[in-house]
Amino acid sequence: MSVTPSTTRPLANLKQAIRQCRAERAQHRRHYAAATESLYPSLQTRYPPPTPGFRPSQAIKQNRFEIGLRKIPVIPPPPSTAKAVPDPIASLTSLQLSTLDPASFRRRLFSALNPDRARVGDILLVRLKSGEPFSGVCINIRARNSPIDTAVLLRNNLTRVAVEMWFKIFSPGVSGIEVVRRKEGRRARRAKLYYMRLPKHDIGSVEGVTRTYLRGRQGGAPTGGGGGANKGKKKSKN
Amino acid sequence: MPPRQTPTRLFAVPPTFLCPSIPRQHLRTILSITKPIPKPSRFNASPHLPVLGTSHTAALARKSRTLPLRTGALAIKKGMTALYDAESAKRTPCTVLQLDRVQILGVKTRKEHGYWALQVGAGTKEARNVTRPERGHYAKQGVPLKRHIAEFRVKDEAGLIPTGTNLTADLFSVGQYIDAKADSRGMGFAGGMKRHGFHGQPASHGNSLTHRAMGSAGASQGSGSRVLPGKKMAGRMGGEQVTVQSLRVMSVDRELGIVVVAGAVPGPKGCVVKVQDAIKKPWPDAVWPPTEVVEAMREGVEKVPAAA
Repeated sequence: MSVTPSTTRPLANLKQAIRQCRAERAQHRRHYAAATESLYPSLQTRYPPPTPGFRPSQAIKQNRFEIGLRKIPVIPPPPSTAKAVPDPIASLTSLQLSTLDPASFRRRLFSALNPDRARVGDILLVRLKSGEPFSGVCINIRARNSPIDTAVLLRNNLTRVAVEMWFKIFSPGVSGIEVVRRKEGRRARRAKLYYMRLPKHDIGSVEGVTRTYLRGRQGGAPTGGGGGANKGKKKSKN
Repeated sequence: MPPRQTPTRLFAVPPTFLCPSIPRQHLRTILSITKPIPKPSRFNASPHLPVLGTSHTAALARKSRTLPLRTGALAIKKGMTALYDAESAKRTPCTVLQLDRVQILGVKTRKEHGYWALQVGAGTKEARNVTRPERGHYAKQGVPLKRHIAEFRVKDEAGLIPTGTNLTADLFSVGQYIDAKADSRGMGFAGGMKRHGFHGQPASHGNSLTHRAMGSAGASQGSGSRVLPGKKMAGRMGGEQVTVQSLRVMSVDRELGIVVVAGAVPGPKGCVVKVQDAIKKPWPDAVWPPTEVVEAMREGVEKVPAAA
């Protein structure tokens, strides 16, 4: 353990000196621990001493707060229904639609993916389970967060009295929905056609159009069915 | 002096009735073999007397008509939808409640706690976020950690279920009525019009900046020259427990874990709802409990091992 400074390597003995200090410090610590063991046997912990280099702050940073404490058994949780079925309302809706709309006719008629869907501005005819069928121009299709409650608002003039009626498309009371006539000209430039309530834009009664359509469907009368261009579109019903 | 004669004794050992009475407290005996001395009761309670009003027996008897016969469950409010009836075409707005990991965590008995109840837990929680005393309770009961815990009081021991039993949606049957308890949506600091239905002031006719104000807070000198305590004013509204009674169960699905009830349930989407049999309707004929519970009860098992 000579400490002769070298000319070429002035810090050559520094490492050795530090090692010596560390060893002496460890020796002192061990000596001190041994002393306390003999003086206070009841204060000795029954747990193994920490590994050399252990620092409590490191353990806490690793989120290990319960070192040295008795381990409490934790039973794993059972499988979760909420995780397996995160959206039970969607499941319930599809379950209902499988009975109310088994062949998806109604869904397809109003589906955004269908290019031949019913749109605002079209004249629709709604057949009911009980009551007279109602036809009118569709001025609103309400499909909010609850798909089962999708509804259409139809406007018609019955004996010069304007009537608007809402119909829930998936209701069992609605037995059929047919597109009587597509909107003429360009597609409506807004989703809700409330301007049709104004006399300037009100198309009035759709009785004539509906009667023509129904006659065309039944037999193919000379005036029925409109032009050849409309023939393909009329098949979308129910 | 004449010689003193020893007096003749009547008895070798004096009989008990002649002995002075020594209270038992002053006797030095072996406590483990003698019977404990009953403490004198302050009250006039005995099997031969009518039941005292301030007793567990009387309290349970008073509540026996309104306590449900069986447990309820904790459910999460998932949202609202509508159910259509195929024949009548009637539309019923409904709330969907989902049961997630609902288990019995423990029982309360009359002998130990003074009443009959079931401790029910739902959901799960990180072990490091549960305090050690709570973790000890779960470990002792042999059940997993739960996020939400509530007690459901039952009428008597017939409604108790072994600890660890999983409660599923088919605890409730279609057509029965339930009471739903949940914390209502918080409205924050709400004004008088929203909180108490005050009518406010006119919108026009010269009204300046005082359309929704409270107006007067009471009479003057005649009312004590003060605002009376309890005066309805603006303040925090909502965020408290609300019970909606007698909601009809429209649909139950065990696989989805949902109970669909007609009408609205307090609280926002995702809140915890306490669901139990309606107290204002006839008690339902329970289709529940499932086979595992019945078998456990038959065997006299107190705890059902928590199935992973």
